[in-house]
Amino acid sequence: MKKNQIKTRDMLLSALSILGLIAVWFLVSNSKPDFFPTPMATIERLIRLIEKPVMKISILGHVLASLKRVVLALIAAIILGVGIGLFMGWNKKVRAAINPILMALRPIPPIAWIPLIILLFGIGEFPKVLLVFIGAFFPIVMNTMSGVALVEDMYLKVGKIYKANTAQMLRHVVFPAAMPAILAGIKIAISSGWMVVVAAEMLSSKSGLGFLINRGRDSYDVALIMVAMILIGVVGALLSAVFTLIERKLCGWMSKE
Amino acid sequence: MDEQRVVKVHLENISKSFASRKMIFEAVNHVTIDVYKNEFLVLLGPGQCGKTVLLNMVSGLETPTEGKVEFIDSDATDLGFVFQKTAVFPWKTVMENVEMPLELKGVPKAERRERAQYLIDLVGLNGFENSLPKQLSGGMKQRVGIARAYCNNPQVLLMDEPFGALDAQTRYQMEEEILRIWEQEKRTVIFVTNNIEEAVYLADRIIVLSACPATVKEVYDIALPRPRDYVDTEFLRIREAIEANTDLAL
Ligand SMILES: Nc1ncnc2c1ncn2[C@@H]1O[C@H](COP(=O)(O)OP(=O)(O)OP(=O)(O)O)[C@@H](O)[C@H]1O
Ligand SMILES: [Mg+2]
Repeated sequence: MKKNQIKTRDMLLSALSILGLIAVWFLVSNSKPDFFPTPMATIERLIRLIEKPVMKISILGHVLASLKRVVLALIAAIILGVGIGLFMGWNKKVRAAINPILMALRPIPPIAWIPLIILLFGIGEFPKVLLVFIGAFFPIVMNTMSGVALVEDMYLKVGKIYKANTAQMLRHVVFPAAMPAILAGIKIAISSGWMVVVAAEMLSSKSGLGFLINRGRDSYDVALIMVAMILIGVVGALLSAVFTLIERKLCGWMSKE
Repeated sequence: MDEQRVVKVHLENISKSFASRKMIFEAVNHVTIDVYKNEFLVLLGPGQCGKTVLLNMVSGLETPTEGKVEFIDSDATDLGFVFQKTAVFPWKTVMENVEMPLELKGVPKAERRERAQYLIDLVGLNGFENSLPKQLSGGMKQRVGIARAYCNNPQVLLMDEPFGALDAQTRYQMEEEILRIWEQEKRTVIFVTNNIEEAVYLADRIIVLSACPATVKEVYDIALPRPRDYVDTEFLRIREAIEANTDLAL
């Protein structure tokens, strides 16, 4: 089979499995449509949602509200995570000093931070972004640290032979060598951040997809819950697809083995 | 050679040992070598005998525990180094790899590109300037390594078994190439190998090292005219003489 044919075949298979999932949903919901909305009812609810915003925010507005929180938190997590991870990977003393703190904080799930953060910072935008940051920071800092610490000695030697100073060493050798690990960390951070934002919004928010789920629960609007859940899935999948493209662009030099 | 043997690098009684928890491991033991200007010196020694450690002391990557390395009347301390495994950066294109030593020195782009292009042409990679290492064969990657080693115009070039990982065919080809490049750009070369045939084919002078810890065992001047022929009777005679005299497990 040619490459093109294989691609078409794989796309067909993917489409079929999605259709299969919808079919199962249809069968299950058809027995108790009042309790569990059918795919049709869910689509109707989506259309109604587009026509009649919740809290004066359009459906796109809710998606963007969640995205904005994730993006802000990710930017902060990338800057701090890559920066601190770079130092920790590069310098054993810095690693020895900071690692215990990270080891102690990392196992605390972001959700466990919610009460403390609400008490400290209330229920505005900042505490939500902070929660997402907590979910995104750890994978980035850990991956950056190990990526930098594991740079092949041989590459460092090349830098030394040609008398690279520390800044040059980081820019020409360490940073690019660690790039695949850093990007893998960011990828984990994106999916974990996306999960945390929904949880944060479910607790206290007037916008976002997590808020829509809550609103659905409060008004027994199961179709609204379904719409929000599907959007969370679709947007999350899109985010990771977009990031895979970025990854390929930045690390195209990696060989496939 | 004889009429003007100017010493370029002097290794004065150098030793290197590594201290581990329980014992001291000697890798290089009291080696004294004079390296002459523009000679092709081959250090020939069995696997794991301390060749890389010795070369790393010349390059300054490691400091001898005893003795010292002197670069005599060298206006520049720049070195070129071709590594045992291809140490070409996979994230840089051929051009970016070759120009890197000059880029680190802050040489303006146009100037360093010109020099790099000359070397890329010299090693026969013209047309591959913008290729990434993953698109190149092992032999081509090592050519990139050689071009990079020449880039900052070093007086002394160190090569650590550069062709060790190549298949026989490519290896013969690269041996021929490295001599052609060296004839065109005469430099002092210290070339490490564990392959006797390669040593006799390349060297002005062969220094045979003993098994670990490395010591100087024997020195051979190879006066054969170039290009040499692997099956020439004189070539084979020298090769056998070295073989008979060394314990290279080959
Ligand atoms: N940093 C180090 N610490 C401890 N032992 C070392 C160190 N570097 C090298 N050695 C030891 O010194 C010995 C010689 O190593 P070296 O790499 O110089 O050998 P070599 O002759 O280059 O071998 P090969 O033919 O495999 O390239 C080895 O047994 C190695 O384990
Ligand atoms: Mg070696």
